[in-house]
Amino acid sequence: MDLLPFLLTQCLNALSQAALLFFLGVGLTLIFGIMRIVNFAHGTFYMLGAFIGYSSARVTGSFWAGLVIGPLIAGAIGAAFEMGLLRRLYRRDASAFLMVTFGLTLVLGEIIRLIWGVDALQLEVPEVFSGIVFLFDEPFPTYRLFLAGAGVVVAVGIWQFLERTRLGLLIRATSQNAEMVHALGVDVNLVRTAIFGIGCGLAALGGVLAAPLVTASLGMAGNAIIDAFVIVIIGGMGSFLGSLLAAVLVAFVQVFGTYYFPDFALAAMYMLMLLVLVIRPGGLLGKEA
Amino acid sequence: MVNQADILRRTMLQAAAAAGFATLAGPAAAADPIKIGIPVALTGPLGGVGAQMRRACEFWAKEVNAKGGLLGRPVELVIEDTAGNPATTVRTVQEMVERDGIRVITAIVASNEALATVPKLAEWDTIFVSGDNGDGRLTAESLVPNFFRANVSGPMGTRAVALWLRDSPMKNFYGLGMDYAWGHNSMDVFAAEAKRAGKNFMGAVFSPTGTKDFSTYITKIRQSGAEGVYLVLAGDDNNAFLAQAKQYRLGDKVQMLTEQVDQMSINATGDSAIGLIGSSRYPFSLDNPVNKAFVAAWQAEYGRPPDLFEGDQYQSCKVLQAGIEKAGSIEAAKLRTALEGLAVTSVKGPIVMRACDHQAEQPGFIVKVVKREGMEHPVPEVIASYPADRVTPPCNKMVYDD
Amino acid sequence: MRAVVCAAIVLAIAPFGLPLFAMTLLTEALILGLLAMSLDLMVGYTRLISFGHAAAYGLGAYTSGYLLLHTSLPLPFAVLAASALAGAVAIGVAWVCTLATGISFSMLTLAFAQLLYAVAFKWTSVTGASDGLAGIPRRAGPFGITMFQTKDGYYYLVLFCLLGAYAFCRSLVRSPFGAVLRGIRENEAKTLSLGYNTRLYKIAVVAVSFALGGLAGALYSPFAGFANTDLLFWLFSGQVLIMVIVGGQGTLHGPILGAAFFMLLEHVLSLYTESWALFFGLIFIGFVMFAPEGIWGLLTRRVRA
Repeated sequence: MDLLPFLLTQCLNALSQAALLFFLGVGLTLIFGIMRIVNFAHGTFYMLGAFIGYSSARVTGSFWAGLVIGPLIAGAIGAAFEMGLLRRLYRRDASAFLMVTFGLTLVLGEIIRLIWGVDALQLEVPEVFSGIVFLFDEPFPTYRLFLAGAGVVVAVGIWQFLERTRLGLLIRATSQNAEMVHALGVDVNLVRTAIFGIGCGLAALGGVLAAPLVTASLGMAGNAIIDAFVIVIIGGMGSFLGSLLAAVLVAFVQVFGTYYFPDFALAAMYMLMLLVLVIRPGGLLGKEA
Repeated sequence: MVNQADILRRTMLQAAAAAGFATLAGPAAAADPIKIGIPVALTGPLGGVGAQMRRACEFWAKEVNAKGGLLGRPVELVIEDTAGNPATTVRTVQEMVERDGIRVITAIVASNEALATVPKLAEWDTIFVSGDNGDGRLTAESLVPNFFRANVSGPMGTRAVALWLRDSPMKNFYGLGMDYAWGHNSMDVFAAEAKRAGKNFMGAVFSPTGTKDFSTYITKIRQSGAEGVYLVLAGDDNNAFLAQAKQYRLGDKVQMLTEQVDQMSINATGDSAIGLIGSSRYPFSLDNPVNKAFVAAWQAEYGRPPDLFEGDQYQSCKVLQAGIEKAGSIEAAKLRTALEGLAVTSVKGPIVMRACDHQAEQPGFIVKVVKREGMEHPVPEVIASYPADRVTPPCNKMVYDD
Repeated sequence: MRAVVCAAIVLAIAPFGLPLFAMTLLTEALILGLLAMSLDLMVGYTRLISFGHAAAYGLGAYTSGYLLLHTSLPLPFAVLAASALAGAVAIGVAWVCTLATGISFSMLTLAFAQLLYAVAFKWTSVTGASDGLAGIPRRAGPFGITMFQTKDGYYYLVLFCLLGAYAFCRSLVRSPFGAVLRGIRENEAKTLSLGYNTRLYKIAVVAVSFALGGLAGALYSPFAGFANTDLLFWLFSGQVLIMVIVGGQGTLHGPILGAAFFMLLEHVLSLYTESWALFFGLIFIGFVMFAPEGIWGLLTRRVRA
């Protein structure tokens, strides 16, 4: 393989991976920014998305139905969880959230096992994107191009949502100063519910999109949550742009690191995280030191 | 303060009681059953394999009990989830021994669980008949007197693939394995076998367990220019690799070979698995009377043919059963003697549990995954089989002499 | 104090009344209790929320396991050496981590622990990589003492370590040193302005906490005969943190109860149902909602009422 096609292939690989990491990290970071809680169950929502996506696609015969239904249901469950339980805990310290979301991880994980069983399930790549394109004679899956594109679209979408819509404004305001927003007569609880639901929905979106690459399986959650943490930590907790930057950075480090130093594939991500934190304790774009 | 003391003490006693009630509640002598410990991974990433192994054990116990039991006593399975965690497995077996008086165990899923368990077998005076654990060391450097392997080991699976390769025109090979003991061991065997067959082994790369993106590994395989790639991957990693390899059309250029082909991963990856060639520890289509009876009974019970881990675990249960019948007891010393050199007519034909390293000598099978009309998923089809003396390694060894 | 003495007496006579396997569980519960208590020094007394305490446990477990497998060091010395190593490593780790505060501190501890996890996965000659270390012996000695090789003997060793560590921590938190720690917990800036080098105090408490956590790990590996990378995994760090919170942080004995509760509950549930995780999770959620002060808080509240 010549250098140029090699670099192009690897960069596109990294971008498609960055998109998946971004979906995973951005929800967690938004939730943290608003609610100051570490959502332990984030990886489980990612997994839930994949399983619901699988079933919806099977019933309707369309991947796209799964892509819509998965995040919607997962987001609704997330919002309901916030309304039912988390809402009662805002006066308590962060450890309460840690425990309650840890509990949710176990409960949700077991429910998924009871419904879908233990075997991994295959979600087919949608027909339109099942082909390949040739980059200088090297075949490259169009689905990966689609993933990278979806990453850009979602990133721009979230950015516009935060900048242009009223709810986005409230979300930004709440992350700055929740009491002030409350004093202005806005129902802060509603903002929190919305953001928790959106965050979980984004994780589920990532889950559905990842399923054709990794199959829907019970191992998904544990793998995903630590990735999500790393993205959020490197990017800076609560920073939307930071999570985007971190996702791209981690993906490139992983793809090229694995190529040149395969023995350090596992450690690369953590070394990067440590390096960033030592230089900037709050993460790349984080506020707090 | 007095009250506090009281409550603390009571809590401790309650905790102790909570820990202890299982013995009190356990029936002491319900026709004095033969208890077999099943410390199996039911949750976690290995849950799928564990479910198969448990099913095989339950099927076997039901069959035995329907025929009046073992030594005239009913068989009782004590099943506990280890979640695939070696530390939990050791604790679970320890409890089975101390609480239920269990002296025989089987159906541990992962090799690292087995490797953690075997050093304790002597202390527990317990026999362990493996039904899945593939790590070559279990019958080589890590062999203990109370361990027996009735299943096909990892090196044996690799050996079968290597034997098949000798007759193939392919010359150059590359390897991709999971970065843990099993992956490295099997890759070493493959590299040695390939060289012996006059083939060119161009190197291997290892991916950490839990790898989700295989694109870089696929690039490496493609760049190597090899005609065949030997895969030592399992579970989620295997599924992810096969799905992504298909998306990159890797199979158009490179023949994928693997140490084990099971229906479960084929179901999970669908058409991505088509064309895959590898060894199978147990293909259900074997043509012998014992297997035909087994498959028919299994089909009647579960409505589908048995998968690889089900067949291999069932064979282990049958070996165990024959051993107990011969020994007339489950006492470790007697059972050990009975198992050594034991010959059983199994679903894979006649097999022998050899005395020297406690590995069951058995044939090896090479299968190819094909699409068949009328079947929802692709299925493995046997394309070659090799006799036991070609596949089983020399005693206490993981590598072959010829 | 009397409560503690009574508890110690009950624990001391436990081997005479409990069946074999209950002793196995109790021994493990005490080891985890020691680990949770060591974390309480950081979390409960200094508000240094560590997400990486598995590092201490894993370091201790691997070190004592390695020493017992590859040297002829007697068991108690191997355990002490492992504990000392964990404490020494902690000084370096804490030096970096205390550059940050709050959530960033937590994240740095997580990063360190995960890096250690990755190292353990690759350093095959020492850690056995994915296999871990198996068949770790309980070597006799020194002076021909064989007591620790028996089940009850080992239990007493664990109990002795736990009680010793408890007494040590208790006097530590009541000393002037402990007062500074509480000062850091309540208001670090103020403590700093009073002329205390708070960072040094924080490094010291992390070192002590790791040494005791390492002691727990060092006791675990010869007990289980086994050590692997799961002991270093971030999930385990999270679980230890939860044991501390469930038990009641800032009490020392609360986290011990929390650890025992966590372990026994998981264990008992898994005996009865394959879906143990479901009930385990529900009980946890229930705990947070209805018993915010933890087990110890629950007990003392009922006493006061």
